[in-house]
Amino acid sequence: MFIMLRRRAVSSVIPLLVVVLGVFFLARLTGDPANLYLPLSATPEMRAEFAARNGFDQPLVSQFGDYVAQVARLDFGESLRTAQPAGEAALRAFPATLQLAGWTMLLAIMGAVVIGSLAAYRPNSATDRIASFLSSTAASVPDFWFAIMGVLVFAVTLGWLPTSGTNGATAWVLPVATLLIRPFGVLVQVVRGAMVSALSAPYVKVARSKGASEGRVVFGHALRNAAAPVLTVAGDLAVGLVNGAVVVETIFGWPGIGKLMIDSVLQRDFAVLQAAVLVTALVIFALNILVDICHALLDPRVRLRAAA
Amino acid sequence: MTGSGSVTTRASAPRARQRAAGALLSALTLVGVSACSVAGADPIGEGPGTLRIVLPEEPPTLEPCDASLTATGRVTRANITEALTERDPSTGRLEPALAVKWARASATSWTFTIREGVTFHDGSPFTAAAAAFSIKRATDSAIDCNVDGYIFSDSEVTATAVDDATLEVRTAEPDPILPLRLSFVEMVPTSTDPGSRVREPIGTGPYRVDEWSQGRFLRLKRYADYWGETPEFAAAKYVWRAEGSVRAAMVTNGEADVAIGLAPEDGAGDRAVEFTTNEVSYLRIDATEAPLDDIRIRRAINYAIDREGLVTAVFSGRPSGQLVSKGVTGYNPRIRPWPYDPERAKELVAQARADGVPTGTTITLIGRNGIYPKAAEAMEVVQDGLLKAGLKVEIKMLDVNAWLEYLLRPFPNGKGPTLLQAQHGNQAGDAAFTMGQIYGSEGAQSSYGTPALDAAIEKAQLASDDQRQKAFAEAFAQQNDEVVRDAVMANMTGILALSPDIRYRPDSATNDEMRLADMRRAD
Repeated sequence: MFIMLRRRAVSSVIPLLVVVLGVFFLARLTGDPANLYLPLSATPEMRAEFAARNGFDQPLVSQFGDYVAQVARLDFGESLRTAQPAGEAALRAFPATLQLAGWTMLLAIMGAVVIGSLAAYRPNSATDRIASFLSSTAASVPDFWFAIMGVLVFAVTLGWLPTSGTNGATAWVLPVATLLIRPFGVLVQVVRGAMVSALSAPYVKVARSKGASEGRVVFGHALRNAAAPVLTVAGDLAVGLVNGAVVVETIFGWPGIGKLMIDSVLQRDFAVLQAAVLVTALVIFALNILVDICHALLDPRVRLRAAA
Repeated sequence: MTGSGSVTTRASAPRARQRAAGALLSALTLVGVSACSVAGADPIGEGPGTLRIVLPEEPPTLEPCDASLTATGRVTRANITEALTERDPSTGRLEPALAVKWARASATSWTFTIREGVTFHDGSPFTAAAAAFSIKRATDSAIDCNVDGYIFSDSEVTATAVDDATLEVRTAEPDPILPLRLSFVEMVPTSTDPGSRVREPIGTGPYRVDEWSQGRFLRLKRYADYWGETPEFAAAKYVWRAEGSVRAAMVTNGEADVAIGLAPEDGAGDRAVEFTTNEVSYLRIDATEAPLDDIRIRRAINYAIDREGLVTAVFSGRPSGQLVSKGVTGYNPRIRPWPYDPERAKELVAQARADGVPTGTTITLIGRNGIYPKAAEAMEVVQDGLLKAGLKVEIKMLDVNAWLEYLLRPFPNGKGPTLLQAQHGNQAGDAAFTMGQIYGSEGAQSSYGTPALDAAIEKAQLASDDQRQKAFAEAFAQQNDEVVRDAVMANMTGILALSPDIRYRPDSATNDEMRLADMRRAD
């Protein structure tokens, strides 16, 4: 197990470095932030002073060197926009996104396992067809449309839920529902597919012939074997959510990392962008390792292959 | 190898399952606990004494010397901090605020008499020394104050406290509108950090900062010892939502009392209140490049734009012929919007073509997404008019920073003939903040000027009172008749949503300065 984790960690460091380098240099290709931060009538002297104060007058390579040295001291620089430490801004926004993603994935996986298994239990039955129809619809609904319609129907027309914000438990319903709908649709289909092939496998027949109950057959035998592909897809979907639920955060005023990243790109707030991307990349790195651990726990072959 | 491996697996399988279940349970608990912490961070149920306002974005800071930035100024100005003078947006007159009177002592010096009995939110008295400190901090410090660049540019200002109640302000060059400029310098106590931005300033205004939960809300509370009239609401809570339809829905749903920055399609319904802003939309014509260097083509562009059509079908506003709106010193009531005359446009282009002007050269129409509602559609309407007039036009829509490269000098090399979608809001109330930078030959946003217009602007900038009004109005007329360096489109309309329980009349300054004290309960 440790060998596998170590290999995985080493191979993840390279993409992490590429991301950090890419964000640093690509961001600086998008133009001089002085135009955005100084008034339109600012004099050339004011622009030069601004560049010097923020180190933008230095060659790119030396700016990068300073950045790496700062990050090594856990100093992510200061936001051009708010004049606050950039690392704080990223760490303040990240938990809001993580909680949203956590609830969404939890509900999506639980719902998909139940509905996908029911659908797979009797392929081509009415239940299966309804589940397939609903899940493919859910997987293809555009989230911005769903979010705005949700506000219109449940907040404005029915008055059951608040339009937006983080105020109280009801405020979670629309953002989580909007985020949930696509992963849920995808996962139902994956669970169904994996369960259909698992339920027709010889060991299921053996289990049934030994007199095991249907519950034990479905959840004890088939589901355990069907879990690996579900876990892989769920891991990918979770990475997408942690990356920032930009649409949901923008529409519902959710103070998360996705909105922070988009805003810092538009505002050319390089320090905040770099900090937010680094924090997100580290969490995705951790999430991938977590998925690997789960794989190893579920499937002994994974551990054996790693040990060999 | 395989055998021993499988033995290990069998032995550890139940343990692995237990571990996985344990991990899942702890993950659930963690998510649950943290969920409560987010929900709990935003206190539920503000009392009826709280005014709830929803903004398009969170203020970056409340730094008083950045109060000329819209996102900061609309919360800070006249609510948390105040200036020595204030301009009445409806009359254009300058009124006393923290200074009760002022007089010009010489060509380069002004004397202000400070209001007595005013205290800052920390209890310290407001004196001439604090005023001198505030002016120095805003104009001569290391914080790149937006006010410094916007209001003072490179002019030098020295403020000295003569005694507690008298302030002397000197300028290097004669400055007839210094008291107007100072209406942008917010007063802060001498304890304010002169070397870095403050997020939560101390001021003399009717409200003080109570709590700022970043990313979530900002609450102001009424300042008990305010020198002026006590405002009606005991507190104000600002929240921010980027999506216009959500801001409008918050007011129709009763979650907010005021929502600003709305577009007609945001669905505020009968809660919507329209008001004329000081923003004017226009196209900058890059008159240095053929075929735009020919004045007939520039006039043809003006005749080819259907301004009535734009304000009826695309965005809301009133067709306009000049960059400043009524109430600004220098506004010329005689300048009418250019009429829509496609035939005249065609004739002018044909005449120019006959004289050898390369009218077949492609002109790039550079637009900026989101500069006003339906910005891209507006550019398509303009393009259509110009194509019909016989010009060749391509649209290029950019984001703010890429667009700024074209707006500000030095311009990108080899850009060819361009028309630039732009918008100008003169929030200061004097044409000096428009003319020099936009129409002067060397102006930061200017791609073309003439020596005659430069001279007219120069003369107007040094004039005072009625002479000043007349001189700037003449300069606008000169640009419109003889230079035609742009195609002014419309004076834009703003929309806010207002709860039926609130009485508030927005004016042309509302976008930059939203006075909480002007908001009252409807009877």
